[in-house]
Amino acid sequence: WTEEHPEWPQAKPEQPHGRLPVLVEKSADGSADFVITESSNIERYLARVHGFLPADPKQAALQEQIRDLISDVGVFLGGYVQAKDEEGKKALFEKFEGLFETLVKVQTKLIKDNGNTGRLFGNSLSYADIVSYGFYKNVMIGIVKFDASIPALAKPKLTPEVAKLIATVEADPLVEKHTAKADSLVAAISA
Amino acid sequence: MTIAAETSFVLRYFNVIGRAEGCRMLLTAANANWTEENPEWPAAKEKQPFGRLPVLVEKSGNGDEWIICETGTIERYLARTFGFLPADLKGAAEQEQMSDQHADLTEAFLNMARATRDKEKLVEEFDALLGRMIGEHQKILSRNTCKNHLFGDSLTYGDIAFYTFYKLFIVYMPVYQNDIAGIVKAKMSPEIVALLASIEQEPLLAPHISKCESLAAQLTA
Repeated sequence: WTEEHPEWPQAKPEQPHGRLPVLVEKSADGSADFVITESSNIERYLARVHGFLPADPKQAALQEQIRDLISDVGVFLGGYVQAKDEEGKKALFEKFEGLFETLVKVQTKLIKDNGNTGRLFGNSLSYADIVSYGFYKNVMIGIVKFDASIPALAKPKLTPEVAKLIATVEADPLVEKHTAKADSLVAAISA
Repeated sequence: MTIAAETSFVLRYFNVIGRAEGCRMLLTAANANWTEENPEWPAAKEKQPFGRLPVLVEKSGNGDEWIICETGTIERYLARTFGFLPADLKGAAEQEQMSDQHADLTEAFLNMARATRDKEKLVEEFDALLGRMIGEHQKILSRNTCKNHLFGDSLTYGDIAFYTFYKLFIVYMPVYQNDIAGIVKAKMSPEIVALLASIEQEPLLAPHISKCESLAAQLTA
């Protein structure tokens, strides 16, 4: 796979839904490319194709609900960062903080119930592990250019179990090619 | 995929269309044995796994309970379990994409409706997003050979998500912004109106549709 960073907003009309991310799966036989959008949709598709999301609907649902909860936290965080009025900002921060704490609590319990091996489900890298890492990376590193106060607010709320999840994902050989090129999230939460 | 006959479901949500209408329609289309609970709120908040609704409780014949949360997850679980999403991952992704886009649009709408500042810019952005969404519906319908469905030739998750989208914006969202129904209707083509009427007539959906106001009637009024 390769990544393209289109000129924006010039490339907007060329995208299926005028937005990014977009995944283009090139066909091998000259038939039309398969193109999908929506980050969670792209994630689930790739995860199912490559076995990171189980085929069993119940097992998949337990992982997908974590991702959906993460997305909800992200909506509040994004709303808070972009809000311009004091009252709105305060309300959104409280919502973000409350739901972030819920997420950490839910994940901590899952990790503990799963043998405290730094994994949310099972005993190998899962879809839920990956999307969780991606989210915490946004909260501790990605968001800084929009609001530098977030990491200091989020860090004290992380539990040892969640820290272990982050470390386990970052060190996994399967994603090492990518995490080795990026800022260390483990370093960011230990700083 | 089939489910044991003794399996029953409880859908917990508020007594509004809100974020559960797709779940209701899927349970109905599945001919599942289900009931709805409208818990006291916020009294019941702490008892829910994520402190939020909707929640789906699946009860097996021996009384065991399996619980999931989050609208999208519940919808996709029901759709997969009862055969309303194809096993083919590409086909499923096309339908799920549309539903995810609806969710984005819902967030953008609520953001705009609640804004006290910079409203004009948000209104413009939302209008563009809405136009693009409806255009997407039109494109999908045009591509499908059968004009009574968005995907394939029988009721799918996609049809239900499509119907729920218009019901949400025309029947429910006016409570947040009273002109939204008119704004949405003005962008709808006759083909989209006809498809909604057709979905509303689906025998599988009758037990739920018969208890609601007709969306089709509101579109032709």
